[in-house]
Amino acid sequence: MSHENLRAQLDAYLDGELASVEAGDFEAHLAGCAECTRDRDDRLALRTAIRAAAPVFPASDALRERVRQGLRAREAESAGARRAMPRPWSWLALAASLALVALGGWGLGLRSGATESVSDEVLRSHIRSLMPGHLTDVLSSDQHTVKPWFNGVLDYSPPVYDFAGRGYPLVGGRLDYVGGRPVAALVYGRRRHLISLLVWPAGRTAAAPSTPRFSQGYHLLRWATPAYTYWAVSDLGIAELKDFTQLVRQADSTAGAGPGRY
Amino acid sequence: MLPHLNAAYTLARYLTRNDHDAEDVVQDAFLRAFTYRDTFRGEGAESARAWLLTIVRNTAFSWRRREGRSALATEFDETQHSDSVAGEHPEAALLRGATRERLQRAIDQLPPEFREVIVLRELEGMSYREIGDVVGVPAGTVMSRLSRARERLQRVLRPEVGGD
Repeated sequence: MSHENLRAQLDAYLDGELASVEAGDFEAHLAGCAECTRDRDDRLALRTAIRAAAPVFPASDALRERVRQGLRAREAESAGARRAMPRPWSWLALAASLALVALGGWGLGLRSGATESVSDEVLRSHIRSLMPGHLTDVLSSDQHTVKPWFNGVLDYSPPVYDFAGRGYPLVGGRLDYVGGRPVAALVYGRRRHLISLLVWPAGRTAAAPSTPRFSQGYHLLRWATPAYTYWAVSDLGIAELKDFTQLVRQADSTAGAGPGRY
Repeated sequence: MLPHLNAAYTLARYLTRNDHDAEDVVQDAFLRAFTYRDTFRGEGAESARAWLLTIVRNTAFSWRRREGRSALATEFDETQHSDSVAGEHPEAALLRGATRERLQRAIDQLPPEFREVIVLRELEGMSYREIGDVVGVPAGTVMSRLSRARERLQRVLRPEVGGD
């Protein structure tokens, strides 16, 4: 397919609207096309900016009350008019189903199982971290600064490595939440891209197949050691992200991964 | 219990661009939803949300027609707004620093047909198909409107273009 035709699919690709075959074709093109790669980066930056900073408008209490009263009045009218022929109270059923979504927010519609929701949480953690000022709680490229910082805020001590020499410098660390519990998130850089590496003790979350996932323009990789469960998420290409995860695995195996916690 | 009142208000607020009219639109839309509740044929929470936002959206557009305000927008024309300009590209790093005020102003400057797809996609996280149902266009049109809306936002938010 031509560059022009593929370029037209950029938004559908980033919005997760392409079938996997088409998405694969697009990624193959992306790997060799600097223009599309730059367009993709711009789109990701725009999306991050919108989600982080575009205002949402919560309804005021006054509006809430006004709508409630309006509905109550309408309800009273229609109850009188319909008494002769009672109908199922479908508004209540509708309201109940609407309430399910009201609790969820925009990112939660995709849950199809425990792993799915963990990977959703990991993805949201990464996207959240891209907001201005949210990237790191401890900003340091020194692993001997980052690691002790976690000791003070977590009940486990995550392995912290620096891969600056291999092109993936440590940027810092932050505290995040997955499954309602605090976890360590390490941030690594790669050119203009960032990688979030989330790590928590093995056994906290169900073991799951470590198939790569691609969602909303980000790749997610999961793996486990006897001691820890890892998630890596980034808008980097899958090859580079795999390269990065390989460095972490190697570092883990040479460090013995510590005694860990089970 | 008023599910989705905030989502409804956010959409109405972006479409009318002021609090007072947005409140009227939301009030009107919820009463309409109640009146036509038997026409809801979908199943599950997602389709209920889409159904409600469809009513909000249509209420806002008929409000605009009734008020006869062109203040809302430059008239929408599919061809006029087809931004195929390849041009320069904004610096991703600078976009990252876009403030709340700049973003809102940039979105408010879009024609309403672009504004609503941005809100439904980026703030409500809806699929192209769901957005198409709300807006009443095919999914392919949703894609092209989103694409053009984003091109415009990138141009407006690019710092060196500034007040343009």
